[in-house]
Amino acid sequence: MAVVRTLLYLVVYPGLLFLFLYSTFCEWFDRKVYARFQNRMGPTHTGRFGLLQPIADFVKLLSKEDVVPEAADKRLFAVLPIIGLAVVSTAGLLLPVWNFDLANPGWTSFSGDIIVMLYLLSLPTLILFLAAWSSTNLFSTIGGARVLTMLFGYEVPLFLAVLSPAILANSWRLAEIAAFYQRKPLLLLPNLLAFIIALIAVQAKLERTPFDIPHAETEIVGGTFTEYSGKKLALFRLTFDIELVVSSGLLAAVFLGGFPGGAVVGFIHFVVKTLFVIFLLCLLRALTSRIRVDQVISFAWKYLAPLAVLQLLAIILLKGFLP
Amino acid sequence: MTDAELIEKLKSDLGDTVEEISNPARRRLFLKVAPQRLLAVTTRLRDAYGVVFLSTISGVDNGEMFEILYHFSTPETDYNIRTEIPKANPHIDSITPAIPGAVLYERELQDMFGIVVDGIPDARPLVLPDDWPAGNFPLRKDWKHERPQEVIPGGKS
Amino acid sequence: MSFQIPIGPQHPALKEPISLRMTVEGEVITGVDIRLGYNHRGLEKLAEDRNWTQNIYLVERICGICSHSHATCYVQGVEKLMELAPPKRGLYIRYLVSELERIHSHLLWLGVAGHEAGFDSFFMYVWRDREVVMDLLELITGNRVHYAINTLGGVRRDLDAGQIAKIRDGLVVLRKRSEYYFHIGANEPSFVARIAGVGYLSKEKAVALCAVGPTARASGWARDVRKEDPYAVYDEVDFDVATADSCDVLGRVVVRVKELLESYKICEQILDKLPPGDIAVKAPRKAKPGEVVSRYEAPRGENIHYIKSNGTDKPERLKVRAPTLGNYPATVEMLRKGFIADIPLIFAAIDPCICCAERSVTLIDAGSGEESVARMSDLRRRAIVRHENAPLKRNAVWPL
Repeated sequence: MAVVRTLLYLVVYPGLLFLFLYSTFCEWFDRKVYARFQNRMGPTHTGRFGLLQPIADFVKLLSKEDVVPEAADKRLFAVLPIIGLAVVSTAGLLLPVWNFDLANPGWTSFSGDIIVMLYLLSLPTLILFLAAWSSTNLFSTIGGARVLTMLFGYEVPLFLAVLSPAILANSWRLAEIAAFYQRKPLLLLPNLLAFIIALIAVQAKLERTPFDIPHAETEIVGGTFTEYSGKKLALFRLTFDIELVVSSGLLAAVFLGGFPGGAVVGFIHFVVKTLFVIFLLCLLRALTSRIRVDQVISFAWKYLAPLAVLQLLAIILLKGFLP
Repeated sequence: MTDAELIEKLKSDLGDTVEEISNPARRRLFLKVAPQRLLAVTTRLRDAYGVVFLSTISGVDNGEMFEILYHFSTPETDYNIRTEIPKANPHIDSITPAIPGAVLYERELQDMFGIVVDGIPDARPLVLPDDWPAGNFPLRKDWKHERPQEVIPGGKS
Repeated sequence: MSFQIPIGPQHPALKEPISLRMTVEGEVITGVDIRLGYNHRGLEKLAEDRNWTQNIYLVERICGICSHSHATCYVQGVEKLMELAPPKRGLYIRYLVSELERIHSHLLWLGVAGHEAGFDSFFMYVWRDREVVMDLLELITGNRVHYAINTLGGVRRDLDAGQIAKIRDGLVVLRKRSEYYFHIGANEPSFVARIAGVGYLSKEKAVALCAVGPTARASGWARDVRKEDPYAVYDEVDFDVATADSCDVLGRVVVRVKELLESYKICEQILDKLPPGDIAVKAPRKAKPGEVVSRYEAPRGENIHYIKSNGTDKPERLKVRAPTLGNYPATVEMLRKGFIADIPLIFAAIDPCICCAERSVTLIDAGSGEESVARMSDLRRRAIVRHENAPLKRNAVWPL
């Protein structure tokens, strides 16, 4: 029985199938909101309100011709999208929406899972770099170099920003952090600055405008994805969709008070809060233009990192005054 | 300065380096210059009259001779310097020492008319494809385009 | 590590084929080479086989964006050759269309600049408002792209009071929106960070390399054919030459938006002063032997046509210099020492119109037809047959 339950957990809910459906929904939401900001319609045709459009795109990409460059490392080239998908899906399992039982830590909710999650969310960036490097295309190589350069910019501010609420809650377990802020919702306010920093860093991690530098199409064609096509590209796009869901879920769990109320109400909290975070990310995307990679680094180290340190300092001082 | 005054000034200034100055319309001066004096006249015009802007260079195939027109313009008037070179020996000096921006038009002239521009900094073809057959100069009057037989690669005929 | 990246002939930043070979060192450009020749149609040779009237429509097809510029430049030259004096009303309508074309071209460019900088929202908004001027052009001429309103001796369509009222309404909307975009383009931090100080071209270099149009004007060189060689109606209207002295892409954005505002002014003056009368006079079939240099300020800069006639109904020589060609040497200068990320912006900032710049060679021979599976003549025959056999559709609607 336990085996069946574990399998269901991994494959159906909250595993692959659920994450697939929910991430396509989030992509639809993102596209629709972005389109409405730009005075366009967005997807309308496939399914009601175009809801099935991301799935249709996914299936269509799956059926497209899959080309592997002659000079590429073929095994690495083929296996990277799968690893990427596996990594972000694993990160998805750690969200406290499906393991809210505080008293009963399991293998998806344990002390330190926030650290594991942050590292799992860093891995896709490295996989992207490897994918770019292994495809040996000039544009991919430049894209890969840009991926890594950007990683040095946003990763530190993201970690500092996400850890400051954890320090205040005095826990390294996502479910406990969320439960702490459910008891004392007012303490979410001191973390507002960290929330903004984390939003910007997540935007950079997801490589969306203004940080879509590694695959800036007007500069370096497809960038990291130039040589990817067909199934592999479909998996990469799914990876990024799931990463969008997971990172917005992480932000919601840490900064927006988690998902209280058990399986059903908690799930509703999850949907509303992740969509809210995605809405903010989308707003950022619609309002800015792409910046240069050197500007990303200087922005991250001149503004984001010092502000994150300041936030951390404020939180530690605050903690001293709290009973 | 009106066109008429300018012509007087040019005549006294340039003397016999200019063979003929005509003014067929308002703001249009046509100067006729021998090909070997072209660079000297261009440099003189640039330094003394502020003629720095080259609009383009037109070549015309007149049968035995090529006529080349350098269209300059200034805020006061337009200078069109005309020169003629024989088709049998089509050589002309580059004016890029005076006007660096002329290089594209001179390359175009080489492509289109087969005029050899001496001293051009970059002599590669500008507009013709790399596999263009040598000795074909499309804008010469005796050059006729013949549409090649259509061939379907890999097809039957 | 130094390597060469090819931008083009096919590249998402380029809407038309051209090849820029960039030698880059990391992200910094160290060498640039521009190669042309992917878009040759042999128009200059072709023009020698067409008569004066047919050539209007031929030169109109040099470019899709500034089609009216080439047609007008050609027509005003041929009218001088034929010693025709078009009626005032015809001229006013002709140059009203030219100014509207400048507006649509600059709005198009503004959107493209936003897109190249990754600012897609800006792109979408500008292009939405561009539809206003496109609709006006369709209203006046019947076409959205190739207006075909010019003819030798005047224009082909008249304006009525209703159309004038609609143009005025449209101009009010456009002016308001352009001022808003001016504000965005010069103030949005991430956009300004991308364009300020990028693609520096000093005034000395702009002069030496014979830059034209907004590129030259953004380097503080106030040259405008409309002002210095006022053809047709331009000495009767009041406008300023927009310049900027920042010498970078930001300056080129500012110049173009200022020019938009000047164009609205010119359009309104033209509508105010529109005289009554005929719109065209009859043109002779042949022109006397002679030559003429016709200059015109296209949206991208100075457009120059050299026309020589030999007394027949066909030109002896038609030389076309489109503004984009004049800006290539300056582009090479601007790209040097830039970042890879700046390539699309700098290149787009000259508003390249590659099909304009490459018009002069003959038809490329069929070494390139490797992918084709059917002959062109065969395809054409099949298309005609299909067209004739197709049932007549009444009230056809597009499926949603």
